[in-house]
Amino acid sequence: MKFCLLIVKNLRRNVLRTLLTALGTMVLVFVVTLVWSILFFLDEVTREKSHNLKAIVTERWQIPSQMPFAYAQTLCEGAARQPGDARPTDSATWQFFAGTLDPAKRAAEDFIVAFAMEPRKLATMMDELEDLKGAQAAELQDNIHRMELQKSAILMGRDRLAKINKRVGDTITLHGINYRDINLECEIVGSFPPGRYDANTVINRDYLNDALDDYARKHNGKQHAMTSKTLNLVWLKIPDKETFSKIAQQITTSPLYASPAVKCETLSSGVTSFLESYRDLLWGMRWVLCPAILVTLSLVISNAISISVRERRMELAVLKVLGFRPFQLLLLVLGEALLIGVASGLISALATWYVVNEVMGGMKFPIAFFPSFFIPANAIGWGLGIGALTALIGSAMPAWSARTVQVSDVFSKVT
Amino acid sequence: MFADQPLALALPPGSRLPLALAVAALLVAALAVAGSIPIGYNVRNLIVRWRTTLLTALAFTLVVGLMTVMLAFVAGMNHLTEQSGQPGNVIVLSDGATDELFSNLNFVDAGDIERQGGVLRDAAGQPLASREVYIVVTQPVIGPSGETLRRRFSQVRGLDDPAMAGAVHGLELFPGGAWFSQAGVETLPPKENPAGTPAEGADRPAIQAVLGEGAAQQLGAELGKPPLVVGDTFELGMRRWVVVGIMQSTGSTFGSEIWAKRGVVAPLFGKADIYTSIVLRTAGADAARAVSTDLNDHFKKAALAAQPETQYFSKLGETNRQFAVTIAFVTIVMSIGGVFGVMNTMFAAVSQRTKDIGVLRILGFARWQIVISFFLESLFIAVIGGAVGCAVGYLADGVQATSMVSSGQGSGKTITLELLVTNQILMTGMLLALGMGALGGLIPALAAMRLRPLESMR
Repeated sequence: MKFCLLIVKNLRRNVLRTLLTALGTMVLVFVVTLVWSILFFLDEVTREKSHNLKAIVTERWQIPSQMPFAYAQTLCEGAARQPGDARPTDSATWQFFAGTLDPAKRAAEDFIVAFAMEPRKLATMMDELEDLKGAQAAELQDNIHRMELQKSAILMGRDRLAKINKRVGDTITLHGINYRDINLECEIVGSFPPGRYDANTVINRDYLNDALDDYARKHNGKQHAMTSKTLNLVWLKIPDKETFSKIAQQITTSPLYASPAVKCETLSSGVTSFLESYRDLLWGMRWVLCPAILVTLSLVISNAISISVRERRMELAVLKVLGFRPFQLLLLVLGEALLIGVASGLISALATWYVVNEVMGGMKFPIAFFPSFFIPANAIGWGLGIGALTALIGSAMPAWSARTVQVSDVFSKVT
Repeated sequence: MFADQPLALALPPGSRLPLALAVAALLVAALAVAGSIPIGYNVRNLIVRWRTTLLTALAFTLVVGLMTVMLAFVAGMNHLTEQSGQPGNVIVLSDGATDELFSNLNFVDAGDIERQGGVLRDAAGQPLASREVYIVVTQPVIGPSGETLRRRFSQVRGLDDPAMAGAVHGLELFPGGAWFSQAGVETLPPKENPAGTPAEGADRPAIQAVLGEGAAQQLGAELGKPPLVVGDTFELGMRRWVVVGIMQSTGSTFGSEIWAKRGVVAPLFGKADIYTSIVLRTAGADAARAVSTDLNDHFKKAALAAQPETQYFSKLGETNRQFAVTIAFVTIVMSIGGVFGVMNTMFAAVSQRTKDIGVLRILGFARWQIVISFFLESLFIAVIGGAVGCAVGYLADGVQATSMVSSGQGSGKTITLELLVTNQILMTGMLLALGMGALGGLIPALAAMRLRPLESMR
């Protein structure tokens, strides 16, 4: 206990140096936490799951995936044809409707991409929305009910609403870009809970399909060019890998999906494909940027502790005379570094978590189709770990130097 | 090494970096002269306390080196998007399309678009126009035991006339290659097997392809070979393809593309009856703007989105700008950490040399000269660390990497780029180092100034 008090007292002796070292540590731990959060999220999304996995069915050979809506019903059943065939536990379809609020200007802020889907699938098939509880879950169910009653209802994330300067209750008209000559007048009935869907927009798929049917009626039966390409994605919820393999086999061998051909892959596999373009960037973040920051952090701590040890050589010699063993002096210096590192790392990680998640609403980084990234709870442990590890590494040599202080050398220079 | 191309790249017009660096250098020199305390005193101190000097300078090296590499990545992406567009080209998409991938132009309109006033013609009187279908093909990459390892996205451009497309886009082939034929396919000889075993299969039909250098490298890597060359074959979309030519395409997004006969590839992917883009060559940038405006406002047969090609590729640089902002943020935060480090070092230097400061004051040096002396010491560490950081960062010049450029509206092109360490980046690195050194050294220098001579001598 007295040893620990001694460590604390030593740090208090030069408050300025302790503070500068702590601040430097906090700043660098902040950057590493941000970068690792991005990498952690991408690793989680691309990790193959063995249970409760989601699969996506898309066009086999090209992007964007564009399939006829006639594929939807059978794909949602996993292309099951016979009684013993495997079926998904749930499913959802996505159709992407890209539109602009101002067809004359077509400014970036007026550009909206809406997912057209069955409203009730929002609560069962969308990540994080399916896990909502309490008031947020009730609000989502309320919005779903409104969308089912009113086909022209639209649900938007709060960032999206802010960008177009609209509020719940307003009406907007989406002038189709990929669905040329189809304009959808929508009423904003609600917004997503804060988080992952802040930038997203959802409409009722029946509204879009009805608009396509209406187009044909108005054009003497001539189908819209997108009618045969309207279905972009089918989501399947599957209990385990074995069932996934069976369903994938059923889909890829079914004669129903010849033109265009389709493929069935896990969500993690699909995301991995999209991230392939960024592999060098992610490699650089993981193996160049983060290690360099950790080394810089070690250098900052090493510098501070080295200075501290050099200034206290006489004190260390006195401690030796008083009976402190060399390893105790080693521990003293290591303890000082560890205390700064761990405390600074913990404070920095906590502050980063709060500022990014609660104040900023996520970190925007242009990778693939992810709008923003959040700091996971694991970051608290990372801050502790980074602070401790870099403190130990940075203080190793100064601590060894303190251990090897020669009493005779020090006192022979005293005048 | 400093005579190499990247360092010789001209700075953008109006760049203030050389001026800023020159001013900084002059200020440092002026301080050294005005300070009067011999520079040798500071240099000797740095040498005597070499461990501390080394640790502090290393921190600078890491920050500046990292920043140099990250900015080189963005510079490479910028260079690629800027070089991909020809100033006199107009790219015509369907109305509302922000990217070729989402564009659908009717066949019947192509001829009228090409005959637009302002479009140049070749020696035979044909419009210098390229009709194109852009497709992104997803291809499974199969592992040794037949499992799908991952999927890659291959960018395929279907063309009616590849030689015309090459002329319009300013691309030529490496010697030994040729553009694909009118048919666009050829029959490969049966596959030879080791001696003693029969040859495999009948004559094999293959789609002729011209590859960009990046595409040749990527496809070669998947086959465990060096970059593909003329005569090599690969699989794409259930068909076999044969390389007939490699484009000289470094520094262009076309370097990541596979070009083939439109009439062969478009039906494979459901785009048989459309073009995604038509690229027109005009006399220059002004003509391109005029033709674009004319097509957008006066072409009655279809609603078009025509724009100068340089403008189209500039919009693809949206992700570059976002990366640059992110890099600036990371660099500033890291440099704050470095500032605290050098501040620590200089405070320690001041506290260890209080007697020196007292002697200097007694000898008649003024307070402000003490400030300058310690300030310069901090700057020396910064210059040494920054210069080494720039040198280390320069090693990344020419390194290849893949990334994606996007306008941020759901589209994007995978590219193979070369990191580019420019004069601008190196100057930025040195200015950053000087800035860190100045910020980290100023407060300790002011603290040194406030020491009283007699008290410091006790």
